[in-house]
Amino acid sequence: MLETLHNLYLGFSVALAPTVFLYAVVGCVIGTLVGVLPGVGPLAGISLLLPASFGMDATSAIVLLAGIYYGAMYGGSTTSILMRIPGEAASVMTCIDGYAMTRNGRAGPALAIAAVGSYIAGTVSVVALMLLAPPLANFALRFGPPEYCALLLLGLLALAYMSGGSILKALAMAALGLLLGMIGIDPMTGFFRFAYGVVELGDGIGVVPVAVGLFGLSEILLTAGEEAPPEIKKPRLADLLPSRQEWRDSAWPIGRGTVLGFLIGIVPGSAHIISSFVSYAVERRISKHPERFGHGAIEGVAGPESANNSATSGAFVPMLALGVPSGPIPAVMLAALMVHGISPGPLLIQQQPELFWGFIASMYVGNVVLLILNLPLVGVFVNILRVPYPFLYPAILIFCVLGVYAVNGSVVDVWIMIAMGALGYILRKLDFETAPIVLGVVLAPMLEMSFRQSLAMSAGNYTIFFSRPIAASMLAAGACLLLLSLLPLLRRGADWRGALGLATSDDKEDIHET
Amino acid sequence: MRRKIALALIICGISIATVFAQEKFPDRPITIVAPFPPGGVADLTARPVAAAMEKILKNPVVVVNKTGAAGAVGMSFVANSRPDGYTLLMALSSISIIPEADKLFDRKPAYTLDQLVPLALFSADPTILVVGANHPWKNVKDLVADAKKRPGEISYSSSGIYGTLHMAMEMFAHAAGIKLNHVPYGGAGPALTAVLGGHQDMFASGPAVVIPQVKAGKLRALAGWGAKRIAPMPDVPTFKELGYDIEFYIWAGMFAPKGTPEAIMKKIRETLKQVVQEAEFKDAMAKLETPIAYMDAPEFQKFYEKDAKMLTEATRRIGRVEEPAK
Repeated sequence: MLETLHNLYLGFSVALAPTVFLYAVVGCVIGTLVGVLPGVGPLAGISLLLPASFGMDATSAIVLLAGIYYGAMYGGSTTSILMRIPGEAASVMTCIDGYAMTRNGRAGPALAIAAVGSYIAGTVSVVALMLLAPPLANFALRFGPPEYCALLLLGLLALAYMSGGSILKALAMAALGLLLGMIGIDPMTGFFRFAYGVVELGDGIGVVPVAVGLFGLSEILLTAGEEAPPEIKKPRLADLLPSRQEWRDSAWPIGRGTVLGFLIGIVPGSAHIISSFVSYAVERRISKHPERFGHGAIEGVAGPESANNSATSGAFVPMLALGVPSGPIPAVMLAALMVHGISPGPLLIQQQPELFWGFIASMYVGNVVLLILNLPLVGVFVNILRVPYPFLYPAILIFCVLGVYAVNGSVVDVWIMIAMGALGYILRKLDFETAPIVLGVVLAPMLEMSFRQSLAMSAGNYTIFFSRPIAASMLAAGACLLLLSLLPLLRRGADWRGALGLATSDDKEDIHET
Repeated sequence: MRRKIALALIICGISIATVFAQEKFPDRPITIVAPFPPGGVADLTARPVAAAMEKILKNPVVVVNKTGAAGAVGMSFVANSRPDGYTLLMALSSISIIPEADKLFDRKPAYTLDQLVPLALFSADPTILVVGANHPWKNVKDLVADAKKRPGEISYSSSGIYGTLHMAMEMFAHAAGIKLNHVPYGGAGPALTAVLGGHQDMFASGPAVVIPQVKAGKLRALAGWGAKRIAPMPDVPTFKELGYDIEFYIWAGMFAPKGTPEAIMKKIRETLKQVVQEAEFKDAMAKLETPIAYMDAPEFQKFYEKDAKMLTEATRRIGRVEEPAK
């Protein structure tokens, strides 16, 4: 403990040195901007700025890039809440209740809670990272393909709680998402599936164009189709801060989101995206008023936003403790270290204590900077809503196209976004929810890869999923959850008239909402 | 000659002004396309090359990452670019695998090898065979003996199907006459994680990735694919020493689209010759722990043709992969 404090002192002396501190602030600012720009997520942000870090020393470089990473996670919530455009894949769930809050004139509280939740999650998870990194990292490595597959199946269960309307419709949408996720190179045989000669489709359909299209574009189209422009309650100064009740409602979701996000985040791979989906599902499951979800429940913002931020720190665990590029973003950050002649490996913490502890301390500093940066910005961002729709929406459209294009420099991505926008418009007219599609697109490639890798390991024997303790216990937990969620359905089934009546009144409300 | 060039350029629909480009090359920014994401070998080699070229040519040189489909997107982009020396490619060994894999599946190839002309080679790192440290095999002999006893049971991870790391292992398995279980991953990082986690038994990768883990005692290096042992690992034998006639390198080299005027190619080649002498370039490569293995076009051409032949054969040998039978 004493040693940790001593090391932390060393870390803060590095992180608060003027140049390093400056880079932390710059990283946070750039990250926030990157996050706000629709479509450009943290990976694109740090990839674009990686070359700029080559000229700096290693600590400044890593601090800058980490700042961009969690800055983007903070910023990603802004467009989700204000315009229903997910800044990156992890903020898809924030769109649902965050935007509903905006429609109710509570944009300010939603943004403030997102910032505070992110701050708490960020700080707490850095403490966890600092104290638990080495043991946790070794545990995380035990996640092989079967465990990963089981984890993703658990993620898929989140579906059951995602939609307020018909379960059947939600399942149909998830199936559509999973099918879309099948497009691309077959990971085990190299076959191009459903690519129709378009080389770009070899990598599959990106989550970001799908999310921006289904959520953002469809919303713009729907609004444009209305006879009278929707009345948006102009934010008043008194409405910028959350009410006492909203604070109280957010406290536990933030705590749960933090723990959940961190645990999912440490698993190597891209599973951290599902942390926000799972958190949303958990909040809805244990809420006493699940019917409020989808109509502006603050828990639906607090939980997922906290989860995706603590997953960010979680993802650093295997990277720092073992030198393993545990996901696309840590891989880019490790490359940044290699450029500076530091070989990332299990000995990184011993060999580069200043780097490690400086990095940890800079994450504390960065989270404070982001909070200070974001809370006053709430007032600024909320005022965007004062811009009349005829000016605001075309501008958003342009930013969507620019953002989605910028990530891979691919026109194909823009077309995907447009097609998804049209699809989202039709589906929402028909009262289908689009979030399950995004979850399907997120999960499909990972689920397929881990499922088939597992079978390749066992020569086609399915017992591999049950003979490994972690995988087996996760599958058991999943089965229990599934039964639990079916229980009310079965009970309600007896009184199908009531269920039907409830569903139709819900639908009416939905139409009214949109 | 001049007329031919002029004709070609006019056909390409370029204004007359650029006809004189060969005397004044370059008069506008040069783009080096890295067909892989930032932080990968292609990107990390392209950037110091670009910086040094910029200094020598006194003209902007930009690195653009055009990624997708295991590099096919970026490589076909350059292959189909205007051959004027302003669009160049930083390719890796995988360049010769993709068209062959396309052929396997009767696909229209994204590009063909004759669309790109080699300019210079910068680095060629032999891959190293590493196994998890808890495995009993101390050397290749142990491993091969064990693999012969239980064919198809020892597994290896790779960066992806038909990826470079898959090829290296396939060459080894073929030369040793053993059958291994291949489990592809989405990139070299996840492949490393899988071996560290004990989910797969071994894999092949470049020295920079492997050395820190070997030093920390997590992995054990059994052999290298190079013609000679590498300096940081003097105790690790090469497959050639062990009697396996295989060689494999993860190399990075620059290519231009076919039809680039001879004079411009010459100018670029001369520039690259200076690039590898630059202290900053040497420093950057040393930090990446990647030894410079410079070859000018004629020599590189030979190396590349031999390499391509080997990879083509390996790709054909692998053929279409069937799902494992029960």
